[in-house]
Parts: sequence; structure tokens; C-alpha cells
Amino acid sequence: MRKLTAILFFFLLTLIGKSAIAVISLELTRGMSGAFPIAIVPFAIQGQTTEQNIPAIIGNDLQNSGRFKVYGANRLSYFPTDVHDIKFDYFRHLGADNVVIGKIQEVGINRYQVNFQLLDVVKGKTADETPESAVILSHQYIVSGDDFRSLAHHISDLIYQQITGVRGIFSTRLAYIVVKRSQNTHTHYALEISDQDGYNPKSLLGSNDPIMSPAWSPDGRQLAYVSFENRKAAIYIQDVATGRRHLVSEFTGINGAPSWSPDGRQLALVLSKTGTPNIYIMDLATRQLTPLTNDYYINTEPAWAPNSRSIIFTSNRSGSPQIYQLDLATRQVTRVTYEGKYNARASFSPDGNHIVVLNQQSGMYNIGTLDLDSGIFRVLTNGSEDSESPATAPNGSMVLFGTFFHGKSILGMVAMDGSVQLRLPARDGDVQDPAWSPFLS
Amino acid sequence: MQFKKLANAILITTSIIALSACTHTKKNMDDDASMRGNNMTSHSETSGAGGRSTYDDNVNRSKGTISKNTYYFDFDKSEIHSNDLPAIYAQADYLMGHPAAKIILEGHTDPRGSREYNVGLGERRANSIAEVLKDRGVNPTQIRVLSYGAERLASNGRTEQEYQLDRRSVVVYIQG
Repeated sequence: MRKLTAILFFFLLTLIGKSAIAVISLELTRGMSGAFPIAIVPFAIQGQTTEQNIPAIIGNDLQNSGRFKVYGANRLSYFPTDVHDIKFDYFRHLGADNVVIGKIQEVGINRYQVNFQLLDVVKGKTADETPESAVILSHQYIVSGDDFRSLAHHISDLIYQQITGVRGIFSTRLAYIVVKRSQNTHTHYALEISDQDGYNPKSLLGSNDPIMSPAWSPDGRQLAYVSFENRKAAIYIQDVATGRRHLVSEFTGINGAPSWSPDGRQLALVLSKTGTPNIYIMDLATRQLTPLTNDYYINTEPAWAPNSRSIIFTSNRSGSPQIYQLDLATRQVTRVTYEGKYNARASFSPDGNHIVVLNQQSGMYNIGTLDLDSGIFRVLTNGSEDSESPATAPNGSMVLFGTFFHGKSILGMVAMDGSVQLRLPARDGDVQDPAWSPFLS
Repeated sequence: MQFKKLANAILITTSIIALSACTHTKKNMDDDASMRGNNMTSHSETSGAGGRSTYDDNVNRSKGTISKNTYYFDFDKSEIHSNDLPAIYAQADYLMGHPAAKIILEGHTDPRGSREYNVGLGERRANSIAEVLKDRGVNPTQIRVLSYGAERLASNGRTEQEYQLDRRSVVVYIQG
């Protein structure tokens, strides 16, 4: 019995250790076992350019996806830059299945030729084959130094798709709200977008009144959002590149939760002009409104199915918030969630097979997925803090969400199978209410 | 006997776990506040910088016998506390006596749960107050309901006491 006590005590102590490190790291906090091992060799550099940005960004992209185990510059002691004089045995011993090599050459003022190759180590070690047969991908680009970061993400996309078979999301963007509270003056709200890794943040709107619910158009060129400027809730659509915007909805009461149809021609939204919140579809060309619900409950957070045939939404018609699905042809409404007493802010995975939802259990708010065929529900976030506002990546691999860390609101990411967890780089202020862009390239 | 030892071990360990999960530091909000104050009316963004919401609580003190403008609600509820009714009736009396006066009835929630659903909840809270005013005889055109959901929290904290302060409806006089 004494031994059992000791074992149990030790087991519980390791649990503490696990939860204490779960949300501290800036990058990957939980990676997948069975990740693809890949070596990313520092590129050969000719000319003025200084940093090894491109391979470092590729390494971070692939490592943070959780699906790759990256051997970068600090893990390597051999730096080949040409497929003809590469010794594949080194990488075999290292344990890498693939190698990325490249060259950056200055060809003009702030103009660079960038070459990269993705090599297969197994193919390369076959003695009677020429080294070129190990090359799986080979590309060359001419870019300015300003484009290094986006080129690196593009190369990451190519490598990711080549090896996993799934389209990469390294060139996508995020939208989110930044809130800065101050004791001396009004709280400031900003709608910002950034690269998918949090870099290159750009402010699209600044305000002393709240902004919420950013929603990317299907072509990634526009953002719809709710703004409380002038002390009323209204929905705007803003062009991301030019910053120009137009007012879309400013009815009495709530104007909220804009959601684009897959063809970009309609906006589902929430209006309470009947006295309580109901869901409508607005034709963006004609501005004509079609009511989808018409009762006295709270109906909100509409989200379109990828096949455009239905809309899921949150409603408390059964006593507390649950997810319902409305068939757009028959107008029939069926309840979708039964797990727990609180399910809200649901959205479809890109393949239409799952919904991602905010679920409350035992007082804790978590992000979960519900398999629509099997009905199996699974919790993705299991931290010690509440989560909110889930947003799915366009390749269905990850969910972006809001959470808390050391008293501040931050963004987190978790893989759809729960295997990988990340925190975005720390920001100044509170970050909340994120949205993931569609594929942009 | 042995079970007691085991139970003690579990008790100690779980309290250690609970303690480590509870600690968090409060951040001091002293980032470029003065700069923000100076730049408040000038924004470089291409699209509109918002208007300002001001809380006219001081102005309201002179409005008859109104004792308070903020009414609190229990978790997930929109029922008015009965001891708020006298203050709400006093608002009604003032509004009926000053037909040109207009109010915004704000609705707020605590930050837990889904944001847009919270906008719906906040509206329910403000509507509860609005119904009482209208039943008393106030002209509906004097009242505008505006729900901020969880977007304008009363405080930054995440304890039960602070959630209690977030769940509120506020009467704001915008005219008269």
C-alpha cells in the first residue's frame, strides 16, 4: 500500500508538471508523435543579403504545423547547398526523410534569385541512381528582399503539400480584435490582420467603441465586421487592400454575427428589429433581406455549410444555447448538439463533416468538434483557462481560438485531432475574436 | 490505516495542483496611455475612428430622485432585482416629466461564453428595464436599447465578484 501511495503521488506530480508547462511556451507546446522528419539546411548566399530568413521561416512554419520534426541550422553540422555534392548518408543517420537545400543570389539592387530543392533521402541513397532523382521539388524565383517572408511561406506551402498531401496554410492571414485598456483614457479597439504566424500586423480600423465578429469574404479580399461607433451596432464590409468600406446593416437594435455564403453573394446576419434576435440572409447586390428565424428566442451566430445547403446557428429555444441546423430548401430546423448545456458559435470544417463549437462542461468553456455522421463529440482544448471564438483553418487542420494567459486575452491554435497546441506570439494589449482567412494564393 | 495515508497524499497533491492552476498576475495598465490620450481624436486609419461613449452618471444625479443608473443581474438571467425597482420607477417618472429626454439602455454580460450570444443576453437585460419603463408609461421613442454583450466589461478581472459587476444594464441620458 505504501508503494501504491508513492506511485500515485508521483503520477499526480507529473500531472502538475504537464499542466504547468502547457501554455507557457511561445511556440509549439504539444507536438505530434509520428511527425515527418525533415532537415532544412541554411541556404548558400551570394551577395549582400544578410540573414538566413527564408530557411528559418520555413523551419518554423513546418515545425509549428506539428506535423514535421525539423532539423534546422542548430541541429546540423553539414551544410550542402547543391544536390550534386550532397552526402545523403549524413541525413540518413540524422533520421531525416527529406532535406531542403537552397541558394540566394543577389542579381540586382534589392533583387534576389532564390532557388530551393526538396530532396528525398531514401531515393538519394540508392547508389546507382543519379543524385537528381532525389529531387522532388525544385523551384527558382526572382524577388525583392521585402518578399522574403511571403516567399518562405509559399515554399513551406509547397513542401507541406508535397509531403502530407494536404494544402498548406502558411500564406493565409488572420483577423482579430486588439483591445487596449488604460486607466487614464478610453479603451481603444482595433481590427487587425496579420500573417498566419502573427507577423506583419496591420490595423484596418481603430475606434473608441467596440469592434467584433470579423468575417473574411470567400475571396479573402474583404472583411465584414460589427462596429459600435456612434453608439449603435452596425455591420460594415471593408476592402482589405484599400481600406474603403461601406455600411451594410444599421437596423434598430442588434446588427451582428455577419457570415458570408460560400459564393460571397450573401451575408447571413442577426437583427433584432422584430424585438428579439433573429437570423436573416441579405443579398449583397440588392440588399434584400430574407428572414430565416422568426421567434422570441435568442437566435444568433449563423454559419454556412460548405455546400451552401444549410446554415447552422445558436439558439436558446430549448432553454440554453445549442446548435441547430436549418435546411435552406425545406426551412426545416433540427437540433445538432446534445453534449452539455451550452453549445454556441459553431462553424463547419471545410469538408463539411465536422462542426467546431464552443462547449461548456463543468463550468469550463472549451473548443470541441462534433462528427456529424457518428455524433462523436471531442474536446480539443483542455487548458486551465476558458476558450472562446473558434475559427478553423481553410485546410481543416487547425483551429484558432481566443483564450487567456497570465491574465491577458491571447490567441491559441490547436490541431483538429487535438494533437498539437500553439500560442501566438505575445502582443501588446488583449487579443480576441479571431477569424482565419481563406486560401489567398 | 493505509487508505488514510493514501487519502492524505491525494489531498495534498490535488491542493498543490489547484493552487498552481489559480495563480495569475495582474498586469499594470501603464503602457503609452498618455500618448493615447493625446491622439484620441486623431486616427491615422483610413476608416472612421469611432464616436465616444460617455457615462453621464454625474448629470443623472440631478434628475429627481434617481438613486442609481446601473442595475445588476444574476448569472444567465435577465430578471430585475426587486430592490432596483424604486430607482427604475424614478427614471420613468423623470422621463415622463421630460418628454424631450432620451436614454440609451445599455445591456452587458460577463465575459464567459460566446460573444454574439452574449450580445443577445445583454439585450434581454436592457429590455427588462425598458419593459418596466414602458409599463409605467414612458414613451417608447424615448428609449433606445443597445447591447454591448461582453465587449465593454466593467473590469478586467476574472473573479466571481468582477463578473458580478459586468452583468449590468446602464441608463445613459443622451438628451435632456
